[in-house]
Order: sequence, then structure tokens, then C-alpha cells
Amino acid sequence: MRINVRFAGSGGQGVILASVLLAKGYGLGEDYNIAQTQSYGPEARGGACKAEVVISDEEIDYMKVDGVDVFVALNQVGFDKYIGDVKENAIVLINSTLVESDNPDYFRVQATKRAEEMGKPFCVNIIALGALTKLMPKIHSPAIEEEIKKNFNASIAAVNLDAYRIGYELMEEDLEKGKQIHFHV
Amino acid sequence: MDGKPTKVNEVVLQGNEACAKGALYAGCRFFAGYPITPSTEIIEMMSAEMQKAGGAFIQMEDEIGSACAIIGARWGGKKAMTATSGPGYTLMQEAIGFAAVTETPVVIVNVQRGGPSTGQPTLSSQQDIYQTRYGSHGDYEIIVLTPSSVQEMYDFTIRAFELSEQFRTPVILLADEVVGHMREKITIRDGSKEIKSEKKKYVVSPQADFFKGEFSTVEGQLHDEQGRRIGHIAKKSGEFINNINKKIRDNVDSIASIDTYCMEDADVAIVAYGSVARPAMNAVKKARGIKDDRILPKFRIVRDLFTRGVSKTIKTDYSHLKVGLVKINTVWPMPEELLRQATEHVDMVIVPEMNVGKYVREIERVLWDKTVISLPKCGGDIHTPTEILDEILEAAGVEEEE
Repeated sequence: MRINVRFAGSGGQGVILASVLLAKGYGLGEDYNIAQTQSYGPEARGGACKAEVVISDEEIDYMKVDGVDVFVALNQVGFDKYIGDVKENAIVLINSTLVESDNPDYFRVQATKRAEEMGKPFCVNIIALGALTKLMPKIHSPAIEEEIKKNFNASIAAVNLDAYRIGYELMEEDLEKGKQIHFHV
Repeated sequence: MDGKPTKVNEVVLQGNEACAKGALYAGCRFFAGYPITPSTEIIEMMSAEMQKAGGAFIQMEDEIGSACAIIGARWGGKKAMTATSGPGYTLMQEAIGFAAVTETPVVIVNVQRGGPSTGQPTLSSQQDIYQTRYGSHGDYEIIVLTPSSVQEMYDFTIRAFELSEQFRTPVILLADEVVGHMREKITIRDGSKEIKSEKKKYVVSPQADFFKGEFSTVEGQLHDEQGRRIGHIAKKSGEFINNINKKIRDNVDSIASIDTYCMEDADVAIVAYGSVARPAMNAVKKARGIKDDRILPKFRIVRDLFTRGVSKTIKTDYSHLKVGLVKINTVWPMPEELLRQATEHVDMVIVPEMNVGKYVREIERVLWDKTVISLPKCGGDIHTPTEILDEILEAAGVEEEE
């Protein structure tokens, strides 16, 4: 059993960090193997960037994603470039501040807008990750929170933990409105 | 082991970080390097951890300096390593020859990116496979290990230190961007392992024991046991060259390593090394009809939640195709005997690699009586399982069902 997750966005948005945290959310639990990989250009900022996480309860042989089960797009460029091999029934989560789509099946989180409201525009990735956590089964959320605390100094970690919780709650609200029907088939 | 109990920890690490951790565990206490994508994380972790381990870290002016510094450090008594990628590895060639001729045990990591020249900084390749073997001038043998996972980045780094001390030779850890940057769950050990330098078994000269204060000239020209030049004496020079080559060639059995998968009854073998062995393994499973999403009970809930998404199994069962995988862990010296044994009953061999088709020539040389098919891939992306599977199907003359 293998779940292929892909994050897409722009260099500087924290695409890779979000994928690493997700990988640790599964990998530091007991049941799963993970393989996290990334693809980016030589630019420090800008340019399309993707990061992928394979989650499996078996040994992972092929470490890249083949057919995407879960797709998270933080901006339009990343969405357009990497939506190609997303499976028909995949869970798609978009940063609806920056990604336009009229597909009603997509999950949406106003990540950029909420990050700006917080006064911390760099939190886009963590808000999206929070929202994704709500959608992902069996994720080991405390591991993610621990990693956030480890990766940043105390004040920034606090901001990111806030962002993580905000993203989670936004998705929780959405699901309470009936959104979850789509994947309890 | 040095007698202290070691604790095993399960961690999620990047390949490059695992390499640095492995080196520290193997007793590496000197690191000199110059940052270059995609190997920079090794240098970053060494700069953070080396001092805590009681060793020294230097960021050098370039890769020439880095490679020379680790040779000096080893003669000064510390186990030493450097790490780089393509362009930096090219600059290190002179020092690698010097380490070979002075029989200095050092470990050099090349996390391959696309070349030639500065090429593709952030993308992967296996283009340096011959450079690691023949990069420096003159006749020397070298040991090159090719990890294909984060766990192997850790384990093979430790192995590289063991082999370098055992044979008093530079050892190259030939990784690539995929394994270097990938994160996986691995087990690592606390503490450190004591790796002893073998003093006299294979070594020509000088016979000095590192860090024992013996006087010896460290000489790049061919030399005798005291480091005195012998280049003008043809007979002695010939012996010297033969000896530094033979110490590795005559011991291939104890150096060479391969892994096999489903080879017992295979008609077709995929021979791969480094990260490409991973999609190759997946292709073998697909060909054999070993479904990669067997459902275990504990995953039932996950599957329910993902019903719409995760239903993919392979459509067509090719289980009549008897395909196996040979993963080469030591590309140099080439594990010729092991490879011949593993493929004894095989008619056909497919060699996927992330370059224009290089190591396949070695395979052809060793498996001269078999059909050898090259499956090269350039551009920076690793082969997909489907690409390898398609080659298997074509080779086996199977038409794919829709």
C-alpha cells in the first residue's frame, strides 16, 4: 500500500520544508516507511519547484512519485506544471489565494491570505500543511510539531505552530460543512 | 567495535546527512570541503557536528585544497573525508592519484550531478562512473561504492572507511543527487566504531604507521619503503606499480559486493547500480506480478479513506516473465565473478543507467556470451519503473495489453 504525495509551488514558498515535515509525520511514527525527494532549479527564489513524499507500509523501492494520490499546490505555476500525472480521484488541496480552479472536488485553503493576516507571509507552507494534516489518515501530528520546534528558534516556532493549527482548523471547518462526503465513498 | 555498547536509533535523514553521520561513526575526525550542490548538506552537517566529535572542519578555498588537506590530515593521524560533486571532483583528480601512490586511506564522496562542466547543479546523473575509475593519470586501482538508499549512504560510508584503511587506498563513495537529497527512515548507531589501519599486509610503502611518529617521506614519485625515489630503477618501479594494483585486484573477493533479487529462476536480469536500482526493483516486481500495494490489515483504514485515489494495481500480469535484479554495490573493482555467478542461467541483461550508456561496456566485457541491452537516460531524471518494464517487455517480445 503506497500513497504518493506531491507538493508544488515556487522556490522560497517552503515547498520542500512542508514535504519534509509531512515525511517526518509518517516516518517518525512506527508503521510507515517514507521516501522524500525534491526537484528544483538553480534559482534560490522563484521557478517552479516540487517535492514528493512516498508513504508505504512496505519497503519503498521506487522513491519518486508515479501517479499522484495527494497533490498540494501553493501557487498557480506549480499547479499548472505538476498537475499532469495526478490521478483522477486524487485528493487535491490548493492554496486558493493564488491558485484558480473551479473544480468543486478540490480542497481549498486560503493559505497566503491567512498568512498575511497573521503578519507572517512566510507561513503559507505550514498553513497548507496544517490543512493537509486534517485530510491525511494516520499521520503522526505530534512528530510534525516536534520537528517545527526543533527546526526554528522559539519565537518563529511558536508562529509556525500557530500557522499549523490555523490550517488544521480551517480544513476542519470546511469538512464540517460537508466537504468530506467526497472521500468517504 | 570499541567495546562500548552502541544504541541503535531510528531516524529520518537525508542521504547527505546520513553520509556525514556514517563518517563520524566510522571515526572520521577531519573534514575539508568546499560547498557544491548537490553535496552541500554533507559539508553543512560536518561543520555543525565535527567539532562536537572532537575533530576539525575546514572550509577550503577550493576542491583541490580540500582533497590535498585530507591527505595531509591522514598522515597527521586523523581519519579524513571530503565531499563534492562533478566540477569539484574533476579538480580533485590530481590529489586522488597522489593518495593512490602514497597509499593514503581517505574517503572522497562524489554526489553526482549532470555534466559536463558545471552542467546541471540540481539534477542527477551517473555520468562520472568512468571518471571515478580512470580520473587520475597512471596505473592505479581504486575502490568505488555506489549507494542506492539513505541507509546505504550511511552503511557504505562506514564501509568506505574500513576498505580504505584495510587496503591503504583512497575510496570513492559515488552517490548521486537522488540518494544525496532523498530522505528516508534509517537506523544509525551512537558512539563510534574503531577501524584499524592494516599496516603491512598489502601495503608497498612507505611502511609508516599513521600517527606513530615514524619518519618517512611522503613521496608522489614511485618510492621504496622509506619513501626514497625509485623511478629510475625499472625493475623496482614495475614491482611498485604491480603491487599497488594487485593489492586491490587480488582481493576483489573481499571487496566486491552485489545484491540479487528474484534471480534464482530468472531468464532476464536487470543490472543496475546506485539510485537506478530502485526503479529497477519496482520494475522487476511489476514484471513478476508482485503487486506493490498488497493490503495489510493495519492499512485498512487508510485504504478506506483513500478509496477514490489508491486503487491502482498493475493491470496486466506478466508473472510468466522471469526477471531478476542484480544490484552492484561496488562498481570498482568490478565484481566480475559475482556477476557471472548471479547471471549464470540468464540469456539477456538490461543495464539502465543515468548516462549515455557507460558501465554497460564493462557488463558486455564480463557477460560477453549474453545479450546485453543498454538503457541509458540523460537529462537529469531517474528512470521510471515503466521505462524499465517497457524494455523488459520489448526484450521478452511481449506486447502490452490495454
